[in-house]
Amino acid sequence: MFEAELKGNNEIMLTGRFDASQVEKAKMVFDAVANSCEVDFTDLEYISSAGLSVLLVTQKRLSKSGKSLKLTNMNKHIRDVFRYAGFDTVFEIA
Amino acid sequence: MGKKFKRDLSSLGDIFEFIDEFSVKTGLDESVVFTMNLVVEELFTNMVKYTSGNTNKILLELKKEENNLIIHLTDFDVDPFDITETAEVDTKQSLEERRVGGLGIHLVKEMMDKIEYEYKDRQSKIILIKHLEN
Repeated sequence: MFEAELKGNNEIMLTGRFDASQVEKAKMVFDAVANSCEVDFTDLEYISSAGLSVLLVTQKRLSKSGKSLKLTNMNKHIRDVFRYAGFDTVFEIA
Repeated sequence: MGKKFKRDLSSLGDIFEFIDEFSVKTGLDESVVFTMNLVVEELFTNMVKYTSGNTNKILLELKKEENNLIIHLTDFDVDPFDITETAEVDTKQSLEERRVGGLGIHLVKEMMDKIEYEYKDRQSKIILIKHLEN
């Protein structure tokens, strides 16, 4: 199960497992983001490179207008994946 | 234990279940399970994406031998694709320079201790080894 839910104007809650079969579902939410936004990973158990790519595409697009995603509350395993990918330098991770 | 999976991203749920079953049987901890999920997903999705027109199922085999976890992924009747010879990803690049994609194999290389590739009789086999901590 995976959910990406927009809360208010500037927060996205991720829930469950973000694998390659969930990319289209996630893109529907992330492609609509137009402002700086916090992405809450509290309830996200798992992410693979497919999920990282959705986040990277969004971050690249937002940065053109001086905006960005801020990623919060990652579990240890997901944080390791971001570090291995070198994504800890292209995202603010809190 | 081994099982063949349909060449489709919708197989990922069944693959994760199979890995869970193996992990319970062999007593692997959650951090190893996370790693197995990720490396198998990355290689399976690569096989699905880059070999169109092939309807053969993909074989996943999992073994634990002493302190080693051994994962085999075999793709049948395909052209060779040696992941050990793919270009390195530069993870120091800035946001503007970063390319989207190509990260999956990089993550597999980071998370596994040894990767081997065999190609014979149009069978493409990736062998992954992870040393387990006591």
